[in-house]
Amino acid sequence: MRGMSSRASALVAAAAILVTACSTTGTPAGGGAVDQGKPFVFASTQFSPVTEQENMRKKILAAYQGASVDFITDQSAVILNRISAEAKAGGEQQIGLVGIENGEFAALVAAGAFDDITKIADKHKDQKIPQDMLTLGKVGGSAQVYIPWMQATYFMVASKQALQYLPTGADVNALTYTQLVAWAKNITDKTGQKKFGFPLATDGLIHRLIQGYFYPSYTGGLVTTYKSADAVTMWNDMKELWKYSNPQSTTYSKLSEPLQSGEIWLGIDHVARLIDVLKAKPDDFVAVPAPAGPKGRYYMSVVIGLGVPKSSPNKAGAEALIDHLLKPETQILTLRENSFFPVVSVTMPSDLNKGLQLEADAVAKQASAKDAKVVPLPVGLGAKGGEFNKAITDTFVRIVLKNEAVPTVLDEQGAIIQKIMTDGSVKCWGPDGSSSGPCQVK
Amino acid sequence: MNARVLDRSLLYGSAIFLAIWVLVPFYLIAISAFTPQAKIFDYPKPLVPTSFSTETMQFFLEARGVLPSVLNSLLVAAFTIVFGLALGTPAGYALARFRFRGREAFQVIVLATKMFPIAILSIPLAVTFLQLGLYDNLVSVALVHTAMALPFIVLVTSGVFVAVSHELEEAAQTLGCSRWGAFLRVALPLALPGLAAAAIFTFVISWNEVFAATILTLRTRTLPAQVLASLSTSPLAFKFAGGLFMVLPAIAFIFLIRKYLMNLWGSR
Repeated sequence: MRGMSSRASALVAAAAILVTACSTTGTPAGGGAVDQGKPFVFASTQFSPVTEQENMRKKILAAYQGASVDFITDQSAVILNRISAEAKAGGEQQIGLVGIENGEFAALVAAGAFDDITKIADKHKDQKIPQDMLTLGKVGGSAQVYIPWMQATYFMVASKQALQYLPTGADVNALTYTQLVAWAKNITDKTGQKKFGFPLATDGLIHRLIQGYFYPSYTGGLVTTYKSADAVTMWNDMKELWKYSNPQSTTYSKLSEPLQSGEIWLGIDHVARLIDVLKAKPDDFVAVPAPAGPKGRYYMSVVIGLGVPKSSPNKAGAEALIDHLLKPETQILTLRENSFFPVVSVTMPSDLNKGLQLEADAVAKQASAKDAKVVPLPVGLGAKGGEFNKAITDTFVRIVLKNEAVPTVLDEQGAIIQKIMTDGSVKCWGPDGSSSGPCQVK
Repeated sequence: MNARVLDRSLLYGSAIFLAIWVLVPFYLIAISAFTPQAKIFDYPKPLVPTSFSTETMQFFLEARGVLPSVLNSLLVAAFTIVFGLALGTPAGYALARFRFRGREAFQVIVLATKMFPIAILSIPLAVTFLQLGLYDNLVSVALVHTAMALPFIVLVTSGVFVAVSHELEEAAQTLGCSRWGAFLRVALPLALPGLAAAAIFTFVISWNEVFAATILTLRTRTLPAQVLASLSTSPLAFKFAGGLFMVLPAIAFIFLIRKYLMNLWGSR
């Protein structure tokens, strides 16, 4: 009996192996009867959550009629390494189109990985993609490296339970950081609980909040004001805010989860990392602009672009896919399904999901606030991007979590940042204005 | 008598404690994987599930590439076992039976390859495989897994052959077997349980490996590469579903092979 069953299981295993051997040799299904050229991979650093991937494959790409496309996504480093490996190997490879974030293009452009797609950009002229975004797409050169695909930003979400503790005179739609600290303190005083949340897990986006929100709002700059007196004020406020923040923050990679479970009531994060809670409980939360500091209400604009690698196996197919992704109806579908905003001119539908509507309103309020100022993600760091982010996050960890002396940390981390700027000859960007040589830490 | 009872109860007590220690997290993952998404954030969580839904699990299983990746993983593991044993067994046999110049150095070098961090190889490895036309191919992943498993296979098989008395082989040779015949008819059958154990560990090494599988494949991913790529940023509910899905085959596998594991540890 025993012999029988183990033999049977061996047979099953063998059959399974045979089935795979057959199934993996074929190319993925898809494409129409008309020959549209070689199948290719659309590789992206965005939409890595399994739900968003499937929305992309089953809904956003559903109406696309061209050659068979396989949408593949992974952690940023994995996708970027792959693009760079295919560029180095040369010839025709698998990736036909890439969709990555503005700042991720620079290093690949330096390696000559992309085609000039000025012609495709010209074709979409009447779709009114904002000119400054198209200029970003040239990545500092004259050739159009990428065409903007979609955009996103960061804003604040608050539980309605927290609204009763707002400090007197504060308008939730026009908060300052000082009022935010007072609000979080008030909640702790009245309820005994720490209800502010920072996205501090290793894959959380705290470095973006520091680069695009805290620093510029307090100091009007980032690198050039890194060690300024205004920066010291900012760090002291952050230390104060941390007292009323949930210590579990160090495990939060996206704030929608602690917001949804009620562990925290307030937090600032990327739209894609907040939308789940707004969609799940639109009646329990408000979405509001990020707070303002003494220098203004700075916010960060994230632009995702589409580029065609030189090693693309099907350039006509890639162009057809770009055309599809830039159609107004596809752009609105992308907003509905995966909550990234259109870059082309579209008429916003009136029947948006309640959570999406909250998001759209918050983004509009943030952009149109009187003191609003927009900054891009760090530009020109290329391969040094990771190091720079780490230096920034380390500053937060040392000052706020480990309670080290602010001036010492700013000196030491400032030296690290200066080395990154000098070694990579990175010029100033965004809030720091422009510079002729490497940006100088001050 | 009393001491024996105490002894027994201590033994069983700690066994039960260890079993609970291991099983409770599995249980929590399992019930969370089948909790409706709206209830996943409920706190405190009931220890006995009050509602049941296969929605999350179904979505996860239907996501592109998840089911094929299981078969990919099995196939890569099978290739790795074949390549690894074909290369590693003779090397292990040689280490066990022959004294040759550089034998000790060879043993150290075999181990030293385990110290080499594969992460720094990522781009060169991918470029080489692309140029060789082996990229995104299960055989290429199996080749890298074989390289990773070989030191282990060589050391285990050499241990196994040391335990097989070479006098038996010599006896076979005096009775008319060739050297090869003696190996095939005497040493190999005696070593089989040990080789099976080596094969099982090779399977586990390959099944669990993420890094090479991630950098060398794009569409034909193995299970860990497929799951880890998409789960770290996925909503909580899918992390539970994916976690359970990765753990189940491993548990099933351990149940199937546990008697061979005992073999490897010497309690035959």
